[in-house]
Amino acid sequence: MVKIKINDQNLYAREGENILKLALKEGIDIPHLCYHEIFEEPYGACRLCIVEVIKDDERFITTSCTLQAQNGLEILTQSPEVVKHRKILLELYLAQAPNAENIKKLAEKYGIEKSRFPKRAFVTDHLNGKCILCGLCIRVCGEVMKAGVINYIGRGPSTKINTPFFEENPDCLGCLACVNICPTEAVSAEEVENRKILKSWSETKVKMKECKNCGSLFTTYPLWEKTKSLLMEMDTELEELCPNCKRELLIKKLTKNLPLPKPY
Amino acid sequence: MNNTKRAKELEEIILKHSSPAGRILSILEEIQEREGYLSKESLKYISKRLNIPLADLYSLVTFYSFFNLERGGKHTITVCMGTACYVKGAPKIIEELERRLGIKEGETTSDGIFTIKSARCFGACSMAPVVRINERIYGYVFPESLPSLLKLYGWKEK
Repeated sequence: MVKIKINDQNLYAREGENILKLALKEGIDIPHLCYHEIFEEPYGACRLCIVEVIKDDERFITTSCTLQAQNGLEILTQSPEVVKHRKILLELYLAQAPNAENIKKLAEKYGIEKSRFPKRAFVTDHLNGKCILCGLCIRVCGEVMKAGVINYIGRGPSTKINTPFFEENPDCLGCLACVNICPTEAVSAEEVENRKILKSWSETKVKMKECKNCGSLFTTYPLWEKTKSLLMEMDTELEELCPNCKRELLIKKLTKNLPLPKPY
Repeated sequence: MNNTKRAKELEEIILKHSSPAGRILSILEEIQEREGYLSKESLKYISKRLNIPLADLYSLVTFYSFFNLERGGKHTITVCMGTACYVKGAPKIIEELERRLGIKEGETTSDGIFTIKSARCFGACSMAPVVRINERIYGYVFPESLPSLLKLYGWKEK
């Protein structure tokens, strides 16, 4: 264990522990967008989690998500220097993603009403004027779901995230991990009839799977296929059922051979 | 190109670059060298064969200005827009090329002869501004010298 100090709080940490994760656990508020704990390797992309570090005679600004705990580290999360930089970042984000509610709220909290920078995105774009290009959706799709449906396209100011050739991507599982992980709620999807439509990803359509018993659409077809192949051998009768029907059938099967309660 | 012929040629290129790390760029480079551009079909083939998501390949290809996703003209004119060339008047060269050939940057003339592109530094700043036509680099190019340069590649003044 090492001793560190965040603002006025003395804390113990494991050596090498992620400072942002630790601070959040301790209830210390550090704004952040691109950090997600499912990824072991932090990304340091959004820069909002910057803090001021005092170590020996040095003072410097760095992202807390990439900062590791070591003995004697002193961290300031709201020093004038940090606030100054964070305000500029928020102004840039207001231009990059003018429609993102949580960015607007955060900016307001820091006393920013308007961005001096020209707007970079619009409500009508495929990510609803909310994308900050942090890449969490790309990472969850590729690294976690192993689907690799989307990626960055182009570079510099014209960088976008979308499917290759801006066409529907048949590799999409329709798992909506991208929708759920997006820190600014930029990715949109909807369910129409028996299909999931990933509106943000070139209108990619994914077929839903129907429960053999009750007919409810309980997951997407490719996701069902994928999970089926990951699971151990399962009773084939259960395989094509939605969770509710599965539970009922399972109860029926399990109780069938139970001895009836004896009458008194 | 028919599919068996494509498969044969692409297999040949893949085999040549057998080190797993970093080989993808070399493979793409050689495909472009042979076919003149990277077709969707070729990218899909490589994606399946090397088990790299198409989205990752497309991302790579759109990152480097070196790669073309569309078949270019017979001659590709690339104007250097690096700092030195830019200062020495590269934007004016592009403007003049666009006017003379009647196309915009990134487009190909309707007869399929010329494509205009721009790129960053070729490393020939001492001769700024420079223009590359196919593999050849020309230095000290100015708007006035473009007609004679284009004539070398079969262009006729109207």
